Amino acid sequence: MSDTAATLTQDRQKLEMAALSAPAVAFTVAMIAFPVVYTIWLGFQTFSSTGKQSFAGLTNYSKLISDVEFWHGLWVTIALFVLSLVLQLVFGVWLALVLFHAKRLPGIVRSLFISPFMMPPVVAGMMWLVILDPSLGAANYILQAFGLPPSDWLASPTWVIPTVALIDSWQWTPYVALIVLGGLQSLPPSVYEAAQIDGASPFKTFQRITLPLLLPTIVTAAILRSVDLLRFFDIIYITTQGGPGNASNTLNIYGFRVGFEFFDIGYASALMLTLTAIVFGAVMAFNRLRGAVAW
Amino acid sequence: MNDAATTDRWIRCLNTLQLVLAGIVIMTPTVWMVLSSFKPSFEVTAYPPTLIFTPTLANYAELTRTTPFLSYALNSLVVTVGSTALGLLFGIPAAFAVSWTRISWPAILTLAARMAPGTLFLLPWYVMFRQVGMIGSYTALILSHAVITLPIVIWVLLPSFDGIPRSVFEAAQVDGCSVTRILWRIALPLVASGVAVSAILAFVFSWNYFLFALVLSNGDSKTLIAAAFNFIGEGSTQWGALMAAATLIALPPLVLAALVQRWLVSGLTLGAVKG
Repeated sequence: MSDTAATLTQDRQKLEMAALSAPAVAFTVAMIAFPVVYTIWLGFQTFSSTGKQSFAGLTNYSKLISDVEFWHGLWVTIALFVLSLVLQLVFGVWLALVLFHAKRLPGIVRSLFISPFMMPPVVAGMMWLVILDPSLGAANYILQAFGLPPSDWLASPTWVIPTVALIDSWQWTPYVALIVLGGLQSLPPSVYEAAQIDGASPFKTFQRITLPLLLPTIVTAAILRSVDLLRFFDIIYITTQGGPGNASNTLNIYGFRVGFEFFDIGYASALMLTLTAIVFGAVMAFNRLRGAVAW
Repeated sequence: MNDAATTDRWIRCLNTLQLVLAGIVIMTPTVWMVLSSFKPSFEVTAYPPTLIFTPTLANYAELTRTTPFLSYALNSLVVTVGSTALGLLFGIPAAFAVSWTRISWPAILTLAARMAPGTLFLLPWYVMFRQVGMIGSYTALILSHAVITLPIVIWVLLPSFDGIPRSVFEAAQVDGCSVTRILWRIALPLVASGVAVSAILAFVFSWNYFLFALVLSNGDSKTLIAAAFNFIGEGSTQWGALMAAATLIALPPLVLAALVQRWLVSGLTLGAVKG
């Protein structure tokens, strides 16, 4: 008798719990799950110049394979991703070590370090647009003051990708550093003490002990950055819109322009689904890597 | 003995030097932006660039005179506050239920928005919102931005709810409290600071978000971020006004982020890192 009562309360509780998450789930289904399914369907449609829509089978996907601009966009996306990720991880780990050894870190220093990644990427783009102006910008003035040749930065087809990678790294290296700093602070101090007693040099201690122990944290930071880097949009759209020419036309920028400038919604859907698959693939690969370096 | 102390001092000195160097690299661009916003218009584009000048508010005055800056700011505020409120309304009960039942798929589902490129949703949204004539409406903008705020609220609040001892809830249950009542009367007051942090982070990320408003807003509902192009202008070098706009747009998120910096990393990594 009391058993039935208990099951009844439990059932009631389950129902109440479901009711609590229902709004969030319903919202996510309506705003994400359903639209994604709709995008998959749109990927099989073509839109004529008059906006008339018809079923096109795999036309958009075969178009994608023979589209030079798609392969170029893929190359730009990957180049930007690799360059930025390496910069941010290397400098992020360095900065984390520096912060870790500065024992008493005033709150103001911490606010200073979070300020780049808390400001809108669009503002970062506006700001660097002015600093990196080829003729009047402060960056070229500083270069020349040191006797170095000036650069065209964002206006140069050769340098635009490294320049965008630099801007993004300026913004997000402190973020990587704070994640790695958290990892450093959670390492047991006993391992360092043992290494010190054994007379290991600071560099050897880092290479043999700290770095391997930190790897899972570093891979986590890499996953979080990869997701953003593979769908790079804001800074490029505000500074170059994919230019000069198509030199910084990442897949996300390209897909956006196909959809909202050329209004080829079907082809844009195919492009975005491909990019989404790339992002999820990268996350899964990194996740396996994290499993491999876990301790 | 003495040698070790000297080496130690050197290492500490070297470390401070690196810290200062990092600080300079991180701060200089932002300081330059703020300085430029206060420069007289002829000095903003001076070459070589000047460091000493008579500060003026002329750029800010010109910004409000030549662009509808204030109405863009109002749009940003409506969209950001609306989407943060919606994120809290849906996110708080969901986080509580996930924490209680340990059934985590509703929380993971919301993460999809954090991983897929925004354009993936924007294409179908555009088609759907256009069909119902909602392009340019606050509703469309608030709904789209809530996709950003909801996962932030859920994932920032999860550890807070997890931190409440089970016995607190069980005692309330024995007293015959319904689950909903436990959430509002007992759990919510205990995680009030977590709610504040999640609201601030949601606000910052909604304020900073660019892509959705670029397509879903129109001339009347344009947010500050989406209006950035209006400030850049066509090939003009009105850098003073541009930097004034950049400074004003960056100010709210920077001030708010400074308030919650202690919780920032655990909040931003959405459960991937315990901060």
